[in-house]
Amino acid sequence: MSKKLLYISLLAAAIVALLLPSCTPGSCFEETNAYVKATFYLESSGKADAPDSLTLLGIGRDTGAIYIKSRNLRQALIPLDASTEGCGFVMKINGVYDTVSFTYTTYLQMLSKDCGYTFYHTIDIPVYTTNIIDTITIVKSSITTFSEENIRIYY
Amino acid sequence: MRRTSVYIISLFAAQISIPAISQNSEIPVDTVEVPLKIRTALEISGPVLYFTDKNILNLEAFVTVDLDEKKSLYLGGGYSDYSYSQYNYSFLAKGSFYKAGVDFNLLRPEMTEGKYWAGGGLHYGLSRFTSETPYLKHDNYWGSVSSSLTEQKNWCHFLEISGGFKAEVLRNLSIGWLISIRKLIYTGAAKELRPIYYPGYGDGGKTLTYGLNYYISYNIPFKKIKVYIMPEPVEESEEDEENQDNTNNTQIGRQGISR
Repeated sequence: MSKKLLYISLLAAAIVALLLPSCTPGSCFEETNAYVKATFYLESSGKADAPDSLTLLGIGRDTGAIYIKSRNLRQALIPLDASTEGCGFVMKINGVYDTVSFTYTTYLQMLSKDCGYTFYHTIDIPVYTTNIIDTITIVKSSITTFSEENIRIYY
Repeated sequence: MRRTSVYIISLFAAQISIPAISQNSEIPVDTVEVPLKIRTALEISGPVLYFTDKNILNLEAFVTVDLDEKKSLYLGGGYSDYSYSQYNYSFLAKGSFYKAGVDFNLLRPEMTEGKYWAGGGLHYGLSRFTSETPYLKHDNYWGSVSSSLTEQKNWCHFLEISGGFKAEVLRNLSIGWLISIRKLIYTGAAKELRPIYYPGYGDGGKTLTYGLNYYISYNIPFKKIKVYIMPEPVEESEEDEENQDNTNNTQIGRQGISR
């Protein structure tokens, strides 16, 4: 009886050990960049409306634009520079140029074991020119990896 | 995991219900002598796994003191040294942890003879550790930013439910295994910089962790107690009931015939 109990236990331990998942490193499937999520609104109607064309590039970044003549873009994802407390962008909406500057505080955020760390920000009211942009309002000043609207650009 | 939890909870429920049934039973018919023991156990899988994976060292031990033939007091502790590294960061955590609680043996005393234990335990865990991120890197449109986090001391509190089996294979020497489920209760670490690993608890990204541990223990008998064995409740089988019914029917029939 006792030995039978022991054998059953050892068998159970072996089965449980086999069922446990192995400790292999996983992969990161999360968003790891905290963008300013900017939604475009028509100033005249007050309704969300994607511009016919949007070009966006960071001031001081000669290489590459974030968007080039992008069409039907309802929400632009604007990356902030984590190494400084502010950065600026040239925004060309429907062929008209404006500049938008952000100032912010930055803090580290652990995402997960697989993805590691990212930088989150808290933005102040942006400074901008008003050639085609009418106003920019802040909806949520915390810039995270979550899918939530941060600013509204009325044009 | 949900099945395991249900199983363990069922075992506890069974443990609670046994004395209640016994109290209602008949007078004890026999006694069995059960040795109460102090068990000092060492976890053996941690050091063994360290030889295959140098990134994690887990040293763990516990002492249980039998309170009676069913319950024992559990005191455990250990040390953990963890390191992890991937393309964009590296992480280190090390520290000690302590656990206290009660274990329940669900086997009947006449079956165990003080040599076998199968049951579960409920433990409260406390971990005191340091963690640091010597290197981290983040890339985006603006380029690459490197940083680090200096060493920080933190606490972590958790609850542990365990279940398993121990058997005395040599005189006063037992081996056994325990499967544990842990629930994180509180951590002193900042929410945004939560460590990815807590010594004694495991993966910091999960509110529930589990583990399988193998133990070898030395047992010191310190007292013998007499445990009354309650008689098994005699259940009437359906066959008996049917036979009895048939007998009654026959009697009625006979009575009928005699009239």
